[in-house]
Parts: sequence; C-alpha cells; structure tokens
Amino acid sequence: MKLQQYLGGLENLGPVNVEKRVFVEDWEARLFGVHMTMMGTGIWAWPHLRVKAEGMNPLDYFKYRYYIKWLGGMCAFLIERGYIDENELDELTAHFLANPDAPLPEKGNKNITDKVVDYLWTGDDPYRDVVINPIFREGQRVQVKDMPSAVHTRLPGYLRNKIGVVDEVYPKAILYSDSVPTDSVSTPQPIYRVKFMTRDIWADIPDTDDIIYNDCFETYLEAA
Amino acid sequence: MSTEKDKHGHHDHLREGESYYAARTKALESLFREKKLIGTDTVDRVINFFDLEMGPFNGAKVCARAWTDGEFKKRLLDDCNAAIAELGLRDGIEGENLKVVECTPKVHHMVSCTLCSCWPWPLLGLPPYWFKDPVFRARVVREPREVLKDFGVELDPSVRVEVWDSSAQIRYFVLPNRPEGTEGWDEEKLAALISTEAMQGLDLVTA
Repeated sequence: MKLQQYLGGLENLGPVNVEKRVFVEDWEARLFGVHMTMMGTGIWAWPHLRVKAEGMNPLDYFKYRYYIKWLGGMCAFLIERGYIDENELDELTAHFLANPDAPLPEKGNKNITDKVVDYLWTGDDPYRDVVINPIFREGQRVQVKDMPSAVHTRLPGYLRNKIGVVDEVYPKAILYSDSVPTDSVSTPQPIYRVKFMTRDIWADIPDTDDIIYNDCFETYLEAA
Repeated sequence: MSTEKDKHGHHDHLREGESYYAARTKALESLFREKKLIGTDTVDRVINFFDLEMGPFNGAKVCARAWTDGEFKKRLLDDCNAAIAELGLRDGIEGENLKVVECTPKVHHMVSCTLCSCWPWPLLGLPPYWFKDPVFRARVVREPREVLKDFGVELDPSVRVEVWDSSAQIRYFVLPNRPEGTEGWDEEKLAALISTEAMQGLDLVTA
C-alpha cells in the first residue's frame, strides 16, 4: 500500500496550509517552465511525474514542498533516460551555488518556445476514437474494486470497496496513459461519474447529506 | 551542505536548502540550453503565459457573465468548453474537458484532487499551494466543512456539501453564488469580487 494513493480521509493532520500563491520562490517558476518544455516537446507527460511522486518515501512526501518534489522527480527522470548526466548536473549545480548570478548560456533552440505555447493552447485530450460498450448504466449501484497496488493509479484509495451510484456514463472512450505501468487504465475505456454519500464512506462523521463525486474508470468498478 | 546518500547511492538532494534548489534548477535550464532542448526565452514565455493569458481572471469573467446572462449560464452548464469560446476565451491544457458546477443557496460545491493536483488551467491558471497541500487533499473529502473553516468560511449546517474529486478526464470549476447587493452591477465590477478560491468552492463571494 502506498500512502500517496490513499490520502483521502487521513485524520489528525492539523490545519491546511492556506498559501494562496502558486510559486513561493522564484526558482519554482523557472522549474515549472522547464517542466512545461518537457511536456510540450514530448520528453515526458504527467504520469511520469506522478510515478515519481507515488514512489516516494511517504514521510518525505509530507515533508517537502510541492516543487521541491518536482525538482527531485524531474532530475531523476532526466538522468534515468539519459537526457542529462548526473555528474554534469552536480557540477553545474555547484557552479551556480557558488556563483548565483552567473549567466545562463545564450544558446538554445528558438523553435521550441512556439511549440510549447502551441501545446499549452492545444492540450492533450484523453478521448480516443474507439467504440465502447459501457457495462454499467445510469442509476446502477456499483462497487469500487480493491485493486492490487500499482506503480501508478487513478483510483483514490478511500473509495476502495465502497458502493456508489452511477450518475453519468460519459459517452466516449478515455485513455489515461500507456506510457507508465498502471492498474489497467492504460487502455481506452468508459468512464463513469459515480455518486457516493460521504456517510457511506465514513460512518463515524456527522450525519449530513454530503456527497462525493468521482470519475471512475470502468476497470475499477463492478456491479453491487 | 548535506551529502547523505540513500540506499541507491544517490545524494539525497531533497534535504538541501533553497539556494541549492535554485542552483540546481538553474543548472537544469542551463543543460537544456546547451543541449538545445529549450529556447533562451521559453521559460520566460511560459511564466508570462500564466501571468497574462491563462489565469483566474478568465474564470472571473465567466462567472460574471453567467450571473448576468441566464441563457449564457445554461449553455455554460451544458458545455463549458463551447460557452467560454463565446467570451473569446480558449481552452487548452488541463482544460480539454471542463465542467461547471453551480452553487445554490442549498448546495455548496468544492473541488479536490486527492491523488495529485488536477485543476482547470484555462479558467484558473495554475493551482495555488493550498490545493496541492497533502493535508488539504486528505481532509477535504472527509471533513469539507472543517476545511472551509481553515479558509475562514462557515457554512450553514443546512447547506449540503458536494465534493468533486477529480481523477480522470474532467476538470471541475465552481460557479459561486452571486452576492446580495450587486443588482445592476456590470460584469467588470462583479468579476473583481471573485477570488480563485471561490471558483473551487473554498471561499464565498461577498460585495
């Protein structure tokens, strides 16, 4: 079991850090720019980053700020895939640590900026043009399966074994990712919006009519 | 400077400090430039894109129009991607499939992503830190009313809370209740009232 895949419902964590900024250090914005370049030029995609996050020591996952974790994940991926050399990165890091105002090289590929901006406007629609025959219908009771632990999942842990009602059957097939190992969301399949009564998930909370909706991949569901 | 190694023999770089993270980020961009994997202006352009083109000002514009034009609101709730184009707004990354959920005096909507940080970029830009906080993500599904209190919002107990936990293709956006006392206000004045947090259900709009 990976804690990062089971965050929903954890208790005793104290108050939320209500930090309304997107970046709290200048380097975070620049790191984000490099990340977007990696996305827009096909070096990586979200699932690669999530594999790194879900593979972390869970205590470290809670300890380190969001973009510190991105920095670790991005560097590890780029080294593993041979885009950069670890020693080269370490040496250059030491150089900029000793000379924080040293300039960046005036080199690069000027075509990449437009490519990245085009990607931002186009996105990456997960719909796939394949015929689907959804096995559940609107209004049907479904139970969420307890899937085996995976490198990467799109199933929130707190919903496992819980029963909900299909609220909407989305009309088209969705492919989550075929580039990383997942618990079977790597083939195009139907998606259902499932409605859960929050009290059906946690019986010990105050009695309200509160609701949780989650979009579930078909592979995660069975008839209840 | 820490040089502890983990079980794989790598330096445990996460334990370093801000100046280290800044230097390593600069080293990364420098290597990308050397290897021609990036342009000299790419990072600045991406930052500028989210300052000026994809940001919460888009979402606020959409809310203000929905509050003042009932027919537009219907189209927005029916097909968000098509409706925002009427305002000259574009969708794109992390907004290929947008859905708007409308608050009423009896139902309050909140958005979460307990697995990562799914967020409707074309309407709100990039997610702020609170949305990505593991504590927020852990608590919002089980105790949404208590989480709201951390944001200074107290909901009437008679209001039902509906949490939209994103994990697949849809990116959710909350249309908050229009505040009282704004009758006759124009869209620009209304849009200025709306926070990013209100458009994910973590704030109420007041005039």
